[in-house]
Amino acid sequence: MTNFTSNIKTVDQIIEKTRVEVLLKDEIDNYQVAYEINKADIHTTLSSLKKEGWIQLSYLSAIDWPDENKMELIYLLFNWETPVYIQIRSKIDREHPEVASIIQIYPGAKYYEREAHEFFGIHFPGNPDYEKQLILENWDDIPPLRKDFDPRAYSDKKFPSREYPDQFSEKDPKNKKREKLEARDIRANKLRSGGEKQ
Amino acid sequence: MKKMKLFLGPQHPGMHGNASVHLYVDGDIIKESYLLPGMLHRGFEKQMERKLWVNNIALIPRVCVPEPDINEMSFAMATEKLLKLEVPERAHWIRMIMLEFARISAHLMAYGGLGGPTGNYTIMYHAHADRNRILEIFEKISGARVYHQYIVTGGVRKDLPEDIEEDIIELISDLESRLDEYRDIGIDNASIVKRIKDTILLPEEVVWDLGVTGIGMRSATNKPYDVRKITPYARYDQVEFEVPVSDYSDARSRLDIKLKEVQQSINIIRQSLDKMPEGPVRVKPGRGQSMRWTVPKGYVYAPVESSRGEFGYYMVSNGGTTPWRVGVRGASYPQGLLGIEKYMPGTRIDDAALWVDTMGVCSPEIDR
Repeated sequence: MTNFTSNIKTVDQIIEKTRVEVLLKDEIDNYQVAYEINKADIHTTLSSLKKEGWIQLSYLSAIDWPDENKMELIYLLFNWETPVYIQIRSKIDREHPEVASIIQIYPGAKYYEREAHEFFGIHFPGNPDYEKQLILENWDDIPPLRKDFDPRAYSDKKFPSREYPDQFSEKDPKNKKREKLEARDIRANKLRSGGEKQ
Repeated sequence: MKKMKLFLGPQHPGMHGNASVHLYVDGDIIKESYLLPGMLHRGFEKQMERKLWVNNIALIPRVCVPEPDINEMSFAMATEKLLKLEVPERAHWIRMIMLEFARISAHLMAYGGLGGPTGNYTIMYHAHADRNRILEIFEKISGARVYHQYIVTGGVRKDLPEDIEEDIIELISDLESRLDEYRDIGIDNASIVKRIKDTILLPEEVVWDLGVTGIGMRSATNKPYDVRKITPYARYDQVEFEVPVSDYSDARSRLDIKLKEVQQSINIIRQSLDKMPEGPVRVKPGRGQSMRWTVPKGYVYAPVESSRGEFGYYMVSNGGTTPWRVGVRGASYPQGLLGIEKYMPGTRIDDAALWVDTMGVCSPEIDR
């Protein structure tokens, strides 16, 4: 159990046996290794790893890379007997993100896939209710964890700022606080731009 | 008979945080059940992408309210792995003391949670009173009771105060002597033992099916699968402790393991106080400006053992001053969502709160 290098070698051998094309390998530390593979190989890799003892799906999620126009899926597996965390990563098309569900291999993925659909808009055919809403209620915009979603713009659009009559606000010319507040704003702006040179 | 729809929660003494369970019942037997998360959703993962690495230290403890320190530890570990930063020796030991106190406090809260659904409020008062004393220790060490923001990237925020060791030893000795009493008023109490013995079972195959970790897994499979033992972090490989297990998982055996783990945590704190060397407690990340430091590119997962199981942050850095993506692997995700849907049906309505409490479901972890 304490022989780290042999543990990672075991994983290497398993991956080699599946004859999957490894695009990138990254040894993070003694207990963690990452492989980047093609989208078509996800199921082969995961099911052969499960047979070898990586029975726990620790995490499933996605990462958005708008510059490359890609969406990256991440599956994190763990084996308690040979303690190595395996990250299986795969880049998919961002315009039509779709990956077949893995609930046949890992039943626990059901809700992770639902969440990934809600927050990234990835489709998981094979998962019966991946399209149902989970956390966000009545969401009406692009999936929020995509990089092009701007929470500030969404909130300004969804909750327009209220107009208050002048006599209740600091805009009221009779309000003595007003001068103070204006002076404070000017001071704050100066500080923000790096202070005033004397 | 017609099926009837009932709500459990969102406020309930057996629930940590707000999440409700939809129950479809026939008589008092649950036929279908679904967790309805989202009441605590504050978009943490999105917010973290928009804040500096330093800013995030103030945000992350909010992910799990009863046990905030594991978030700090996981975040610190992930950034340190990416930065390839060596943490000073003393900081490792201080971190362990904090984490074990956090575990005790979370276990006491969960054990006290037994009081709500069974009507035996004495347990809750005792447990919360003792938890309060732990919070006082936290306050002396970090200045805050609940959200400490004490474990930061590169070590801990400041050294332990001078006379804290006496306070810690006094508290843990007192707590240790009272563990038998906890057993008597709780899991061995004849008035509630019928409610918790042989109910809310978690068979071994269900554990593998769901991917439950932590106490749920250890109580059903009889295997000492603990992240602290299997992939040790901090200095857990240099202290002696046992991982309590059992081969039959009902509500009582899981609570029993909780109490045994409190004892083990006390042992770890004692050893840490003895073995802790003198020295610095923090190194600066040292890339970029003092506050706007950057983290090299990379993908990393940092798992820690929380009171409910494996908890971790999946972190992606683009080399910038803010994280590119932070994913939270909540320990209660498998049992909270899939577990309630698949395995809660069949229990009685009054046991639903016990189910949620003893399986260890922390709803802010699911929402984040």
